[in-house]
Amino acid sequence: MFGKKRKKQCSDPVVQQLITMVGESEVLYLKEELIAYECDGYTMSKGMPRAVVFVNNTEQVSEVVKLLNKEKVPFIARGAGTGLSGGATPFGGEVIISLVRMKKMLHLDLENRKAVIEPGYVNLKLTQSISDKGYYYAPDPSSQYACTVGGNVAENAGGAHCLKYGVTTNHILGLEIVLPTGEIVEIGDDGIPDHPGYDLLGLLTGSEGTLGIVTKITVKVLKNPEDKKTVLAYYDDINDASQSVSDIISTGIIPAALEMMDSIAIEGVESAAYPVGHPSDIAAFLLIEVDGISAGIDDQINEILTVCKNNNVRKVKVAKDEAERGLWWANRKTGFGAMGTISPDYLVQDGVIPRTRLPEVLGEIAEISIKYKLRIANIFHAGDGNLHPLILFDASIPGQSERASKAGSECLKVCADVGGSITGEHGVGIEKSAEMRFIFSEEEVAAQTNIRAVFNPENLLNPGKLFPQPGRCVEVKKEPEKVEV
Amino acid sequence: MISPSLEGILPKEQMRYNNEEKHLLGNGGIQIIEAYSEEDISKVLAFSNKYGKTVNVISGGTKRGYGGLIEQADILLSLAKYKGIVEHSVGDLTMTVRPGTTLKEISDELGNYGQRVALDTSWPEIATIGGIVSSNDSGAKRLLYGSVRDLVIGTRIVYPDGRVIRTGGKVVKNVAGYDMNKLFVGSMGTLGVISEITIKLRPLPKYEGLSLLHFPQGNEQAIRAFTVLLLDSKMEPVSLEILNPAITEKMTGKHHYTLAIAFEDRENAVLYQENWVKEHLPIGAEHSVLHEEEARQWWAKFQHLGPNGHHDDENDTYTQAALKIGSNNLDVLINVKAAVELAKVFHVVVEAHGGVGHGILRVYVKGFPEDIVTYIKALRKKVEEKRGYVVCTHLPFKLRETVGVWGEKPGYFALLEGIKRTNDPNRILNRQRFVGGI
Repeated sequence: MFGKKRKKQCSDPVVQQLITMVGESEVLYLKEELIAYECDGYTMSKGMPRAVVFVNNTEQVSEVVKLLNKEKVPFIARGAGTGLSGGATPFGGEVIISLVRMKKMLHLDLENRKAVIEPGYVNLKLTQSISDKGYYYAPDPSSQYACTVGGNVAENAGGAHCLKYGVTTNHILGLEIVLPTGEIVEIGDDGIPDHPGYDLLGLLTGSEGTLGIVTKITVKVLKNPEDKKTVLAYYDDINDASQSVSDIISTGIIPAALEMMDSIAIEGVESAAYPVGHPSDIAAFLLIEVDGISAGIDDQINEILTVCKNNNVRKVKVAKDEAERGLWWANRKTGFGAMGTISPDYLVQDGVIPRTRLPEVLGEIAEISIKYKLRIANIFHAGDGNLHPLILFDASIPGQSERASKAGSECLKVCADVGGSITGEHGVGIEKSAEMRFIFSEEEVAAQTNIRAVFNPENLLNPGKLFPQPGRCVEVKKEPEKVEV
Repeated sequence: MISPSLEGILPKEQMRYNNEEKHLLGNGGIQIIEAYSEEDISKVLAFSNKYGKTVNVISGGTKRGYGGLIEQADILLSLAKYKGIVEHSVGDLTMTVRPGTTLKEISDELGNYGQRVALDTSWPEIATIGGIVSSNDSGAKRLLYGSVRDLVIGTRIVYPDGRVIRTGGKVVKNVAGYDMNKLFVGSMGTLGVISEITIKLRPLPKYEGLSLLHFPQGNEQAIRAFTVLLLDSKMEPVSLEILNPAITEKMTGKHHYTLAIAFEDRENAVLYQENWVKEHLPIGAEHSVLHEEEARQWWAKFQHLGPNGHHDDENDTYTQAALKIGSNNLDVLINVKAAVELAKVFHVVVEAHGGVGHGILRVYVKGFPEDIVTYIKALRKKVEEKRGYVVCTHLPFKLRETVGVWGEKPGYFALLEGIKRTNDPNRILNRQRFVGGI
């Protein structure tokens, strides 16, 4: 990786051993090289890794892990680093094992609807590589152009279309993992369903890299739907938009996606790269997509239009072509970054609520906004109740970062109090580990850390993540960067 | 007579000594205890854990012949009377239910709201949701709707020491902490007793159709070519189930290999897809279509195939077994053929059906015990050649050790053992019911 000779030699014996193992060019250890690895997409917490090692195959991962295990050096697996909760961020002194070089598709079996890939394979590339044959990979986080499927497995990533098609865990058929001892284990036998034994695939998916390092993934691929149609509906009252969400679901339609944005979020996306021309004075819009057999879609679209009209929609329209649909989605999918056009800094949250509680929760978030004197934009996957309140602030003004952090935590408390969750798709990581206590008792946390101990008894693999530390409360960190979800 | 040590744990009317003869399927208990509440479960487990008593768990009993190398535990804990829907959030398409509720009871209640749990498992009027979740049971329609692991979003679990631990939550999207729900789905009750389940619902379909394609020549290549064509099309079948001639005869009176292809959607979309099937009909295949109530009745009958541990009235000499065979999706066709061919060799009678799009094949076997044993061993060998597995989902107690219910231990067995040890260190729960004697 680094052709020119480095000026400094490394005196760290662990790094020296890593270099011996994988080669000088495959190990980063100088401070200036390591800065890029201080954090992932969640930038409010940073730590300097001891080194970064690039691995090319499972055996190398195993060898590196065996060494680190022997030396009792903590380590973290990392893909593209797009995670939004600090799951791949060091506290300081961990060795990062980068899997980005492991990016091959190993096997494609369309007859059995599966593909076997390495963890560094980029999410969108997977769909692109099979789209000419009419297939796709369903989980579509907004960062899909960059994020790796290995990272998706670690976080159990979602996306706009998981309302109908499910999240990552519903699409993982098999995994090869390297345990913290270096042992290589294959689970799911390349996609044979319901393999006898506890469902380790389900347990590993979403374990945020604390149980093993994924080195091979068998995913389910789906056939593209025959047809899809997309509706955009503008509302003067956010409660009417919320009610429409419930009413659409109640009619028996399961849309492929059902997204919502409020007026502050609309202000942001309209001043960013993909403006649609949304009216500036609406309270909210819904972006609704239905897909499936063409013959059944018009009926569903008509029912959706009726629901919207019955709920006082100001204007509702169906995308006239793929270009218009594409623009609407670009406008939505770049929504987080768009907040950068109306605020110097923002903090994104990821709460989940029962969708019927939407009006009530939005009211409470509005009160939090008043209480902390910070604007809060709302962009969310309304169909499955996954809210992304974006707290807008200016880190250069003393006290605002702290207020933003507190406001974010309070939004999650509201979600927890109505029977929801503190994270729907971004993961707990460093960011929300204290908030785990909003939804789990100490015993329930212990039930999970006890399972961690089965895989990772010395807690060398991604230590300090996911679970609350005794006595640790929500910390206030530096301002976040503008990162897409 | 109630064991003195159990006195005071629960009211006397909930406990009785088991006077019955030993059950053909094992998995019984010396004391039978009926739980009426989560607290009851907790008390029984805490007591058992403290005093080293083993506990088998049962509800409807349809899966009594599924795993288990202990004929009688100290206690047989029945959840059959711990039933009912705790909460049905119609607008959220979620439901929280107690484990002893039967699938039919759930379906009947949800039907009033135009909703359902998308599970089409066997014996729905007897099988309880607790048993279905614990055994990860599934039916033909998992092809489109997924299996139990895709539907369960939260549980309450009574751990062996009596503590109640919640997993997941009540919302449909949730990545907070480990997905502990998954550990309990299909764990055969070996890690804790499920006292509540929260599950995702779906709307009832607007219209149902079932296309039946009969293949009089049983031409495997023709069946395969057609299924590949269908799976590669943009049609969205809910099931793509291959039935062997014996099952077809029971279901339709015809002795042919048959594909049962269900479509559930708007009426227009169902008819359109049925028309696609008609237009692509393989040469020589016969074709019939059922709609709405007729289709529902066909599937209701289909859910009553194979043995059922609740009323297994066969004796030792002529007995029955059920197998779950997992494989690559299309290998279901190879395995169904193998199941039928080997039946002739080993003098057993088999009925078999499997999902060509989802990879699970069910084989129901009748015959003399020694023939069943050799048949299963031969079929397992054949299936394993293509990395598949055979699990015995119903087998008389006496045959289980001989055959090996779960097949070989997986390479990562130490992890499974570790999980068991973590949750149930004294191994009181459903001991030896699961893989590798866990």
